[in-house]
Amino acid sequence: MIDRDDLELFERSLRQATERATGAELDAALADLGWLDVVQAEPAAGIPLLFDLVGRSLATSSALDRLLALRLGVGAPAVVLPAIGRWEAPGAVDGDRLVVAGLGTANLAGAPSALVVAAARDRHLAQEVDTTSLDLHPVPGVDPALGLVRVTGETTVGGEGQPVDWSSAVAWGQLALGHELLGASRRMLELARQHALDRVQFGQPIAKFQAVRHRLAETLVALELADAALGAAWLDPSPESAAMAKALAGRGARTAARHCQQVMGAIGFTTEHDLHRFVRRVLVLEQLLGAPRLLTRELGTEILERRRLPVPLPL
Amino acid sequence: MDLDTFRKSLDDWLDGHADELAPAYPGHGTVELQVEQIAKVRHLTHDAGWARWGWPGQVGGLGGSGLLRAYLSEALSSRDLVESGLYSMPEVLGPSFITFARPELSAAMVPPLLRGDEVWCQGFSEPGTGSNLGMLTCRAARAEDGWRVTGQKVWTSLAQMADRCVLLARTGTLESAHRGITALFVDMATPGISVRPLDTMHGEPEFCEVFFDDVPVPFARTIGEEGQGWAFAMDLLPYERSTALWQRAAFLHRRLQQLVEAAPPGALDPTALGEVAQLVHAFRARSRATQHRLAAGEDLGSVTSIDKVALATVEQAVFDLAEETLPDEVLLAGGPGPERWRKEFLYSRAATIYGGSAEIQRNIIARRLLELGNDR
Ligand SMILES: Cc1cc2nc3c(=O)[nH]c(=O)nc-3n(C[C@H](O)[C@H](O)[C@H](O)COP(=O)(O)OP(=O)(O)OC[C@H]3O[C@@H](n4cnc5c(N)ncnc54)[C@H](O)[C@@H]3O)c2cc1C
Repeated sequence: MIDRDDLELFERSLRQATERATGAELDAALADLGWLDVVQAEPAAGIPLLFDLVGRSLATSSALDRLLALRLGVGAPAVVLPAIGRWEAPGAVDGDRLVVAGLGTANLAGAPSALVVAAARDRHLAQEVDTTSLDLHPVPGVDPALGLVRVTGETTVGGEGQPVDWSSAVAWGQLALGHELLGASRRMLELARQHALDRVQFGQPIAKFQAVRHRLAETLVALELADAALGAAWLDPSPESAAMAKALAGRGARTAARHCQQVMGAIGFTTEHDLHRFVRRVLVLEQLLGAPRLLTRELGTEILERRRLPVPLPL
Repeated sequence: MDLDTFRKSLDDWLDGHADELAPAYPGHGTVELQVEQIAKVRHLTHDAGWARWGWPGQVGGLGGSGLLRAYLSEALSSRDLVESGLYSMPEVLGPSFITFARPELSAAMVPPLLRGDEVWCQGFSEPGTGSNLGMLTCRAARAEDGWRVTGQKVWTSLAQMADRCVLLARTGTLESAHRGITALFVDMATPGISVRPLDTMHGEPEFCEVFFDDVPVPFARTIGEEGQGWAFAMDLLPYERSTALWQRAAFLHRRLQQLVEAAPPGALDPTALGEVAQLVHAFRARSRATQHRLAAGEDLGSVTSIDKVALATVEQAVFDLAEETLPDEVLLAGGPGPERWRKEFLYSRAATIYGGSAEIQRNIIARRLLELGNDR
C-alpha cells in the first residue's frame, strides 16, 4: 500500500503535469513521476487519479496504451484499440495473415510498433506489429484534439503470438475511460455552474431559475452514480463491473453534456467557450472500448441467459 | 465484531432459524401483518444479539460499527423477511433521537424500539406544510406542568399502531419560522390524540391524520432544547436519506431478480433490463459508499439528497420495468404474487414524494452541493 501522504503528493504532481503538458511531453512527465509503477503497485489508485485529471484537462498521452499493455503482460509502446463503439479485439488471424481493423491513440501514430490482439477460438493472442506495416489514417472527426487514427492492414506474422487476457485488459481500459469521462463531465458541470452564476437575465443570475438549478442538480446525481459505480468496480474489477461502470459513466457524460450545453445558451455552442472541447471529447470517449448501449444490451442478454443479476456488491 | 465475522455468523444464524423467522402470510401482506412480522423479527434478532450490534451501549446496544446494523437490515430484506421501508423506522428516528434526547430519555425509550416492543411514528408533515416544513403550525404551548399540544399532522406512517410519536411542534411565533420549532416525544396513548388512517392508492392504510387537542406532554419529553426542533429535523433527514436506504437497495435487487425469473421468454427487452440492472447496481454502490462514510464518522448532511434522488429514480425504474414486462400480473390478476407486484408498483410512485420530494432534493443539491446560491 502506498501511504496517504505519498498519494496526495503524487496527485498534486499529476495535476501539475496534466495541466501543463500533453502528448509526448506529458508522457515524459508521467515517466518521471513513475506513474506506471504506481499503477502496477496500486491500480485502484493510479488509474483513477490520472484519468480523472486527463479528463479535466483534455490532455492526451500514451497512458491508455501503457496500461492495456501492462494488463496484457506484454511490453509494447502502443496497443491497437477496437473499432468505434466496440470492445472486441481488433485483430483476426487467417492462417499466417493478421487482419487488423481498429483505432489508435495519438500515441500509436508516433510509435514504432503496436500490439494487435486477435481472437483465436477460445483465447486471445497478441502480436507486436511494426506500425509501418499498418495503414494509419488520421480521423480528426468530431474531436481533432484527441488525435485518433484509424488502423487497418493485413500483415504476415512470424509466430503464433502470445496468449493474453483481453477481457481483463478491456476492463482496466473501460475503467480508465470511465474516469476520464467523469473528469471531463465534472469540468463541464463546473463551467456551466460558473456561467449560471455570472450570466444575468431578467435582472438576476440565471442560477436563480429553478429549471437551470435542477438541470445542474440532475447532472450531479448522474455523475455521482457513475462515480460510485467506478469506485465499486475497483473493489473487484471484473469485466462485468467495469462494463457497468463504463456504461454509467458514458450515459452520465451525455447527461452532463446535454444539461450543461443548455444552461450555457448560445455561448456554449461556440468555439469561443471551452465547453465544446469537453462535449467533443466525451462523445468519442463514450464510444471507445464499448458504447454504453452495446454494454447495456450485452449485460441484459447475459442476465437473461443466466437468469441471474450480477452478484450484488457486498457491504 | 468485524463486518466479515458478523456477516458470516448472522447468515448462518438466519439459515438456522429460517422457519421461525418466516412471515406467516404469502405475498405482500397487509400493513398490520407486516408490522407484526417486523416485531417478531426484531424480537428474535434482538434476543440473539444481532439487532443490538451497531447501537451504542447507552441504549442497550453492543457497540461496533453502524455497518453491522446495515448488514442486518440488508440480510433481512434480501431474504424477504421484512418490508424494508417500514423496517427502517428505527434507522430514521433512532440516531438523531440518541444525539438530541437527554441520555436518561434515550436509555429508557430506545431499547423497546430496537427490541420490537414498540412502534414509533414521525410527526413532521402537516396539511399546510409538506415540503415547507419550516412553516409548521401544530402548536406546543407552555403550561405549568408541561407542554400542551394542539394541531394536526398528516401522512404520519403507522400512527394507527404507534406507541410513540417523534413530533415537531411550534413553540415560537410563526414568524420565527424554523427557529421556533421544538421536537417532542409523545405517548400516542395520551388523551386528546385521535388518529384517522388514510386509504392509499396501493391499498394499505400506511399513513394517518393525527389530531392533537390540548395534549399534555411533560417537559422531560422534550427532545433536545426548546427551539432545537429544526436542528433535530436537519440531523434526522440525512439518516432517512442514507442509512435507511441501504436495505432498499437489497429489496430492489431481490425484486429485479424475481422479475428476471418470472418474465416469460422474450418479454424482457435486454437493453431495458441491462439499464435497470446498471441503475440498481449504481444505487447500491452509492449507498454502500454512504454507509462507509457514515461509519467512518463523517457528517453527511446534504450529500444524502443524492442518495434519495437516486433511490426514487431506481425504484420507479425497477417497477416500471416490472409493469412493462408483466402487465397482466401487475395490472389485472389476483392472488398473492400479482397483488404484491401491484402494491409495490403503486407504492413506487410515492418514492419521489416521501422523505422530501425529488424537487426538494434537487433544490438542496443546487443550493448546498453546487453552491448556486439562494434561489430567491
Ligand atoms: C408514503 C408516504 C409516507 C410518508 N410518511 C410520512 C411520515 O411518516 N411522517 C411525515 O411527517 N411525513 C410523511 N410523509 C409526507 C412527506 O414527507 C410529504 O408528502 C412530502 O414532504 C411532500 O409534502 P406534500 O405532500 O405536502 O407536497 P407539497 O409540498 O405540497 O408538494 C407538492 C409538489 O410541489 C413540489 N414542490 C413543493 N415545493 C417546491 C419547491 N420549493 N420547489 C419545487 N417544487 C416544489 C413538490 O416537489 C411536489 O411535487 C409521507 C409521504 C408519503 C407519500
